[in-house]
Amino acid sequence: MTRTVQTQTQTQAQANIQQPQAAAPTIAVRKSCNPDGIGLSHYVLMDKKAAK
Amino acid sequence: MTAALPSRALAGPALIPVDIGHPVYAAVTDPDTAFWALVDKTRLAETVAGGPLLDAYREQAGAFGQELHALRFGLKPSGVYLNPTERCNLDCTYCYLPGKQRSGGQHMPAETLIASLGRLRDYFRSVMPEGRKPRAIFHGAEPLMNQAAVFAAINEFADDFAFGVQTNGTLLNDAAVDFLTSRNVSIGLSLDGPVAGITDATRRTWGGKSVHGKVLAAMDKLKGYGSWSVITTCTTENLPHLTSMVELFHAHEVPTCMLNTLRCTLPGARGVKPADGEMAKAFFAALDRSHALYRESGRKLVVANFANILIGILAPTARRLMCDISPCGGGRAFFALAADGSLYPCSEFIGLPRFNGGSLLSEGGVEAALASEAFKTVIGRDVDKFSPCGDCAIRHFCGSPCPAEAHEMNGGMEKIGAFCDFYKEQVNYALRLIADGKADDYLWDGWDEGTETLFDLSL
Ligand code: SF4
Ligand code: SF4
Repeated sequence: MTRTVQTQTQTQAQANIQQPQAAAPTIAVRKSCNPDGIGLSHYVLMDKKAAK
Repeated sequence: MTAALPSRALAGPALIPVDIGHPVYAAVTDPDTAFWALVDKTRLAETVAGGPLLDAYREQAGAFGQELHALRFGLKPSGVYLNPTERCNLDCTYCYLPGKQRSGGQHMPAETLIASLGRLRDYFRSVMPEGRKPRAIFHGAEPLMNQAAVFAAINEFADDFAFGVQTNGTLLNDAAVDFLTSRNVSIGLSLDGPVAGITDATRRTWGGKSVHGKVLAAMDKLKGYGSWSVITTCTTENLPHLTSMVELFHAHEVPTCMLNTLRCTLPGARGVKPADGEMAKAFFAALDRSHALYRESGRKLVVANFANILIGILAPTARRLMCDISPCGGGRAFFALAADGSLYPCSEFIGLPRFNGGSLLSEGGVEAALASEAFKTVIGRDVDKFSPCGDCAIRHFCGSPCPAEAHEMNGGMEKIGAFCDFYKEQVNYALRLIADGKADDYLWDGWDEGTETLFDLSL
């Protein structure tokens, strides 16, 4: 995962610069509905509305 | 990168930190409920120690746990994958069906297919709320090899099922397209390369002929139709070309595609399996390109398998694909009917006789199959209960797919699937997009219509 390592290195440098600033707002979202998924890796029903 | 480190010993639910590789944010999750939050990484320690986020979460933790439990263990089947033939006119490298079946297998007779759908309709009526139609998807081998039976069944049961067909596209002539689109049948195609030379590496006829041009012609015929998609199976052969795939799909106005990791259930697939890191790199480049194209043109090409990861994070119950949840959807949200009339938890198992749950048209039918040992082995695969997944902070965003490949490739149901590290990278990428406020760009417009917001915290 070279990509991740690079990102983390950059990340730390930027985070250090940003430390004196106010904290970034916390993000937390959870939505809910009646589950009706039946897709799998070989198929996805494209139009959810068409199936209702 | 995920770190399954308990935040502290507590009597209540705790949050586990996850480094997502973002400049500002880290994630915290409670894997038991699939709860997550993105917090300023300079405040990580104090956030997991206590405070308003943890307080707000603890108020809801019980409800979130119940919701996840219902999704994982409380569903009744609402769809069926129908294999109306064992035969296929192509010989793809990674197919999950044995070559002998595909080259010389049987068609399901039209009368058997009709009788089967009658039986299935009655079953679904007994378990689904009135007004909701079950989905019936004609599926591999190549369903249009037995077109007369498939079309007769669609006509006969037009009012009872929402139909779909997943096809290699080579037999989709004008008449077939007219038939399917006029009945609002959802159509999935498959294409593995931006040019014939790449597609031909994994998808060609038994005689070795290219089908690339035929699939492009089918895509042209479907342009403007609302309900179609194209699947690319990612292998070592096409990995460097995923960005070009996305460009080709966008240019052809494909509304939704999937860039799937191949399933390694049968040995043939394992020879073209990409390494996780390579897969992640190519996949993210393709996603980045799809986003740039959206920004340039205002038209989205949704990459459904990634969209599903995002949706699984934002709204676990709204996910459309049921591979990335444990137990997976096979044998509980849907099941598969093989061409010989046998029921399997998922089409992925049709080449594996020990997962045969019995005949649909026998006395016990669907109920007997759902209760069979064959199905129970699959439905009983629980990501909480085996290592290393049981300690994984993102296990309910990943689900450790796929039971078929875990069983066949890694030696048992209590083994991981083929792409653990790729899943970790995907979840991190998805969380970074949420942190940057870009998640909606990667999702279907209106994806959350009909959902209720249970938690939305800005601190
Ligand atoms: S994880 Fe495998 S068995 Fe389960 S639904 Fe997906 S393809 Fe089928
Ligand atoms: S397979 Fe999935 S659930 Fe298991 S450890 Fe890997 S990322 Fe976590």
